[in-house]
Order: sequence, then C-alpha cells, then structure tokens
Amino acid sequence: MKGNIQEKEKRIRPDGVEKVTGKIKYLTDLSFPNMLVGKVLRSEYPHAKILSINTEKAKQIPGVHAVITHEDIPAMNGFGLVTPDQPVFCVDRVRYIGDAIAAVAAESLESAEEALRCIEVKYEPLEVLDSPEKALHPDAIKLHPQGNICHKASYKKGNVEEAFKQCTYIIEETYELPRQMHGFIETEGGVFVPDEDGGITVFAGTQHGFKDRFQLSRILGIPETKIRVISSPMGGSFGGKDELNIQPYGSLLALKTGRPVKIHNTRVESVRAGIKRHPMKITMKTGVDANGKLLAHKVNIVADKGAYTTLGPAVLDFAVEHAAGPYMIPNIDTEGVLVFTNNGMSGEFRGFGGNQVTFALEGQLDRLAERLQMDPIELRRKNLRKETDLGPVGQMIAPTDGASLVLEGVSKLMNTNRKQQDEQPWIFKGTGIAIGMHGGGLGKGRIDHAGGRLSLAKDGKIEISFGFEECGQGLVAVIENLTISELGCGKDDIRIVISDTDRVPISGSSTASRSTNMVWQSLKRLKEPFMKMLYEEAAELLKLPEDEMTLGVGGIWLKGRSDGPCITYEEMARKSEKELSYTTNFHFPITPTPDAIPGAHFLYTFGGIKVDVEVNGLTGKVIVTSIDHVISAGPVVSPNGYVGQIEGGGVMSLGYTLLEEAKMIDGKYASENFDTYLMPNIVDVPFDTNVYAIEELAEGDEYGPRGVGEIGTIAIIPAIAKAVHDATGLWINKLPISPEELLNHMEQKGMIPWVLNKM
Amino acid sequence: MSALHYENLMTLSVRINDEKVEVKVPPTLSLAVILRNYFQLTGTKIACGIGRCGACSILLDDELVNACLVMAYQANGKSITTIEGLSKLSLDEVQEAFLKQGGYQCGYCTPGMIMAVKAMFDRNPHPQESDIEEALAGNLCRCTGYGGILRAVKYVMNQKHY
Ligand code: FES
Ligand code: FES
Repeated sequence: MKGNIQEKEKRIRPDGVEKVTGKIKYLTDLSFPNMLVGKVLRSEYPHAKILSINTEKAKQIPGVHAVITHEDIPAMNGFGLVTPDQPVFCVDRVRYIGDAIAAVAAESLESAEEALRCIEVKYEPLEVLDSPEKALHPDAIKLHPQGNICHKASYKKGNVEEAFKQCTYIIEETYELPRQMHGFIETEGGVFVPDEDGGITVFAGTQHGFKDRFQLSRILGIPETKIRVISSPMGGSFGGKDELNIQPYGSLLALKTGRPVKIHNTRVESVRAGIKRHPMKITMKTGVDANGKLLAHKVNIVADKGAYTTLGPAVLDFAVEHAAGPYMIPNIDTEGVLVFTNNGMSGEFRGFGGNQVTFALEGQLDRLAERLQMDPIELRRKNLRKETDLGPVGQMIAPTDGASLVLEGVSKLMNTNRKQQDEQPWIFKGTGIAIGMHGGGLGKGRIDHAGGRLSLAKDGKIEISFGFEECGQGLVAVIENLTISELGCGKDDIRIVISDTDRVPISGSSTASRSTNMVWQSLKRLKEPFMKMLYEEAAELLKLPEDEMTLGVGGIWLKGRSDGPCITYEEMARKSEKELSYTTNFHFPITPTPDAIPGAHFLYTFGGIKVDVEVNGLTGKVIVTSIDHVISAGPVVSPNGYVGQIEGGGVMSLGYTLLEEAKMIDGKYASENFDTYLMPNIVDVPFDTNVYAIEELAEGDEYGPRGVGEIGTIAIIPAIAKAVHDATGLWINKLPISPEELLNHMEQKGMIPWVLNKM
Repeated sequence: MSALHYENLMTLSVRINDEKVEVKVPPTLSLAVILRNYFQLTGTKIACGIGRCGACSILLDDELVNACLVMAYQANGKSITTIEGLSKLSLDEVQEAFLKQGGYQCGYCTPGMIMAVKAMFDRNPHPQESDIEEALAGNLCRCTGYGGILRAVKYVMNQKHY
C-alpha cells in the first residue's frame, strides 16, 4: 500500500527553480557595497558577575569601525517575544553561555575576530544552576528578581485521588526528554542596511517580521515605520528563528557605523546562543478500570527554561493542555512548572511541548494495555474523544473526528506478518503505533491576528500579499495553489508578495501551524469583494454587464465565451484609474469557552503513526525500517509540501527519539557542531515512508485546511519507543533511546547469550 | 581584506564552471568562503564549516569534496564545478528531478545535495540502496526527512535507465 497523496497538478513550487539552481539569495547570501562584517562577543561563563568591560584595545585594531556594549543601546536593553527579559548586552551579570557582551563591526572577518579577542571582560564566576532541581532549591541564588520559577500552569477536573481508588491498574512513570537543536542548515544571519534618514532595512530570517520590527524599535529607539524587515527566504527555522537573534546587534552596528553590516553565525555561535527544545521531566500516574476505561490521570511537568523567558510559558501551557491528548479522562490533575537555570536557553520548537508530553501519555497507554492484556489500539479506541466531545482541557473545540480516523487508519496498517529472520538472529524486530493531536494557532487569550490583501498592480499582475515568511515549509506553493483555485486565474497572472513589512499587511506569525489555514481563510474573505471590484471596473470600462463576467486565465472573461478574455488584467490595470485593492483583517478562530485555560486551542490536527524497527542485539542500535503516517488535517493544498512537512517532521522526531541530545555539562554544550551532535542522515531513515492524508472535515466545517507543520513530529516518538519495546521488552522512559540501556536489558533478559550461542 | 593576518596572499588560479579566473587570497582560506565572498557564487553554502553537513559540496576536478575543507592552495590549478555550473543552458536532469519530486523545502542543503547526487550518478548510473546511502550519507537535510530526495533519485533512475 502506498501513501494516497499525489501531485494533482504538475505545478512546480514558485521558488523551485531558483532553489535547485542555487540562484536564490537567502538573506545571509546578500552583499552590499561598503559592507562591514559584524561579530558578537558572548559569555565565557554560564553564570558570572561582570566586573568590567574594556573595549579600548579592540577599537584600535585596523579595520575595526565600531565596538559596542550596553552603553551604546539607545533605548531598551532587552528583547523576547512576550517578556523582554533577555538583555541585548549584559550589564553586570551573565546567565548563560550565549549571553552577549559586546559586538564589533570591521572591514574583514579577521579584523572582527581579532577585535573580539581584544575585548577585556573581567568576570567573577557564580554557582552554576545547571538543573531545575538545583534552581528550585530554596537556597539557590536567584536568576531573576522574581526568583527561579518562570511560569506555572495547571489544569484540574474531577478528583484524581478518589478516582485512583477505583482503578484496577495504575501506572506511574517518569519520562525524561532532552534538549534538541533545531539544526536548521542555514544558521542565523543577515544584512543590516542603514537608510539616509536614520532608518534601517533589516534583511534577516524571522517567523514574524512585524514582531521583529516592534522589538527592534524598542531597542533602537526609532519608530517602527523607519524599520523595514525583509525576512525570507530562510534556510529553515522550525521555531528557532522566531525570537530575535542577531538582529539587535546587526542593527545597532549598522546605525552606529552608517554602513551595511552583515552577520552570519558560525555553527558554534548558533549552538551557543540559539534556543533549543525544552528538556522536560514528566511524571504521569494514570489509572484504568478492569474494562480499560481511563479514570484518573495525574501529571507533573518540570521544564528547563534556561536563562530567559522566550516563549517558554506558552510552551508549558501547551504541554499542560495536551497532557491528556485525545482521550476522555474524567479526572485529571496536571501541573507544570518552568524553571530558570543557567543552561542553554529553551524556546519555541516545532511541536511546541506537545512532543514531550505525548511521548509520556502514549507510553502510559501502552503500559496500561500490557497490564490489561488488551490490544493497545483497542484500549485507545475505548477512551478516544468523539466528534463533538470537548477538547483536552474541557474547552469547546471545532467538531472533529480526527482522533478516531487516524487511529482506525493506523489499525488498518497493522498486518504484522513479521518474522524473526533466522540468518540474523541478533536482529530483533518490533512494531509500534501511537497517535497524537496538536492545536493550531496561538490559543485562547493571545492576540492572534491574521490578514491578507489582493490587489491588481499597475503592471497587471494580481498581487496576493501576506506577512508570512517562507521558512522552507512551502508557503509560497500554498499561496499560489489556493489563489489560483479560488480566483480561477492563471499561475502567470499572480505575484506573491510576502515577508516585507513595507509591502504586506499584518498577518500574524508564521508559527503554530497557522499559515496555511490563515491563507485559506483570508482568501475566502478577499475573493468576493475583490472580484466584484474588478467586475465593476471592467463593466464600466467596457460597457458590458458585470454579472456576465468571470475571472479567468489572462483576464476577465465573459461567461460562455472561450475565445479569450474580454479584458486582460494588464489592460485593466492600464486603463483603470482606481486603486483596485482589498485587504482583510481577522482573528484566528478561538474556543468560545469563556473560562478555558490560557492557550487552549480550538482547531486541532491529528496524526497516527505506525513504525517498524530493528534492534541490533550486538550494538544496541535501533533502526527504523518503515514509517507510516496517517494525518487528519483537512484538504491537502500542496501535495509535495504536505508530504514533505510530514516526512521531514517525522524524521526530525526520529532524531529526537534515537540520536539527538544537546547535552550540557556544567552549563556548557557538550556538542557544538554536527561532528558530535548527530542529526539523522539518509542512512538513519527508512527508504519507504507513506503518508496517508484524511482530507474530510467534520460536516459543516468552515475552517478549511489545517496546517501540517507540526503534527508529523508528534506521535512518531512514542511509536518508536513502543516498537523497541515490542522488539526487546524494554520500556523506554528516557530519550534519546540509549544503546547501552538496550544492551544491558537484552543481556539481562538473556537475549544476547542466546543469540551468540546460536551464532 | 585588512592587512591583519595575511600579508602573504597567493594568486589562486582555477577554472570555475569552465571559466578561468585568478584571485589573490590567503593560502589557507577555505574554498567555500572564496566561492561565496570573492565570486558571489552563493549557491555553495556553509552550514557546519567542518566537513560534516555537505552543504558546501562541489566538484573539484570531478571529485565530490566539501569546499569548506579545501584550502586555497589545495585548489590551485584545478577545475571547480559548483551548483551554478550545472545548469548553464538548461536544468540538469538531477535538478529537474528534485524540482518535480519535491526534493527540497528550504532549499539550503539542496545545492550540496544535488552535487552529491550528480557525482553519484556520474560514477554509478545504477546505484543500489546501499550505494545511495553511501553517496549521500555526508549531506544533511533538516527539512525533507530525505523522502523527497530519495524520490528524486529514483526518478532520475527511472528516466534514465529503465
Ligand atoms: S559546510 Fe562544508 S561540510 Fe558543512
Ligand atoms: S531542504 Fe532545508 S535543509 Fe534540506
């Protein structure tokens, strides 16, 4: 059986040719005349007092044009998407290894690097709080004025303690999830070009140009209108470029020197300074009655925030929200705490806290199924939400049967006629399934505006404009496909304008799997008024009845005629004196439940996974030999993009499950590049992956196709863990799955001596 | 360049994409940097800088190398093909395949990946699965999960050889 998604029309993604020829200019590829090179000096210690900073020697280096510190910040010394508690430049204290202290602009990289070496910083090292446990100790030094707790979140319903008394089986486990690197292949960077009037143009990747503009304006002390942010194409982000990274430094240096400044992080700089996936320790106690009905679920989440807030509180809220996933459990008690430490900073990362908690939740279900001696699919089926059930935190959600559709889809794939191979008795095979759900949009209580614009430009192109960014996810293909299908015009009639704050309407961030859905919803709102505007204008120009008209390839056609448009778009643009443009503005759909917990979602996608693995009894290595995704996210807009997002997300999580850990020792990264931080390469992935899209939405659904940027990353983690259990009997509680742990287990169970004897 | 470290510049004389060029550079400067900064051939990307990701893959005398690991003096007198040199008149069949099969997303690994696929087919027109793994194991892609890339490879094989 093969995945069911085919490229319906052989339309090539608009940015395709440029990408396969290497001609496309990413923002880190740009050069300007007179351009300087910028470099940032970051902390030597994970935690220290700064006693003094001396930049005198650095300023003397030939070719150096500026050396700046906190003293050179015109306005606010802080950034952060919600809480601006990360200093642009540290003043008297550093809290993690990526903290910035100074920056330089020079004529060459060599001079810039030399200047960095000449900046003298005197530190007094402080105790390093390198775990939440240490930071939560009552005697621990405070990392921020409010203490070391960044955020708490909880959800309660029923009475878990009472309910546990009714349970036939209870499983209590602690799951440990590591810090993961985004590992975008293009590191952070860009070019910062000062204008003559004191403004600046910022060419740097971000997932939300307008938010960058707002934050930069606060730092630079210049109005937002004087800042232009151009923010894609980007060589990957996955959440890692949503926060400001090098933008404050590049902008400050450019304004100070009056020359364009380019900054492009090396991988080591990117690793040290960049945000990562939150490490979490999740304790779950889950009880079930003799028939397999889930009765009680108690969850405790401790997440390592690192030094500054970033989007951590929203990530914790998301994990708390998804702690019961698609299951109906009458008694729930979930508590989460997010703790400041001196570790590398955690922040937004594809899956947004859902990955970690789903690993734990699905692990609980599998362990319970074993205790009950029940088929794990059957156990899930018994407890699954139905189409109009409430969401995981008791909130009303858009009706969806996605949970059961993906479970049934996965169950159909379970034709296990797997045989142990006699010729390789040290290879143990296993199969695992899991499902997960993922909320789209920013959620209840958060401003989540969207919008878009349709215009007929002066050259006759239909311009479709959004404030979204092309991070690689294929947004431009989504926009092209939807625009053509909604308007009925041709591919060559349109021009897509995105990611330039001077030219696009506010559309919200390119995060939270929201962009595809927001493009669809915008077009629904734009289409009628825009077409009407064109018909009226054409009717007036041609003295023909407007209700006879229809948009088509090349121009406006008269219904029933096939000999060509009655007026081309170009003619129309040339002859018309009006501004033919229509803009829409609206809010992402949110749950109507008034007291829903912060961040609770309304639109969800669902994903089910089946994987096969082989565990090598001699090395402890796990190889995933097949992956099947069943995804329920509504209609497929861009087939290649859809499959690519799901497969790519799946492999990213495969890496999280089997290979990746951005380990920290005493507050420093143990791996700073791809020689020791191992992301999956082609050898680590199965040659055959199938993606099955369930395209139907609930009857009467008016919200359209949901984004699939994240759902592919969720269920694969527990599915692999279950497959490893199936193969070896070991229950995995800690990622990445350790070959040593597996070998120990197999040895204890006598699997390996048996293998060796047989050899 | 500042006069800081490199008083002794060398004249690097190479053929890049069939054009003979000369440039004065520090002898130990990486070829990836030279291509990007001196010739604006930004199709060659730098992602790790230490030979582990393949984003900078190019052909040096028809041999696939990581340009970030080749120093100027090692490249002297040689012939270089970068992604820009692959499609002078029309797209190479490998590029065509990537385009049609969705072998890219952000596209940042794509030039290196295409160079590696191209080098594989030049050497071995009938690769087995293990040959494909071997040929592409040095190129990381964080976006596609390799599915689209594998479909592109299969597409070339189908187009060409069956
Ligand atoms: S940049 Fe050359 S191999 Fe990574
Ligand atoms: S397409 Fe983005 S890294 Fe490969």
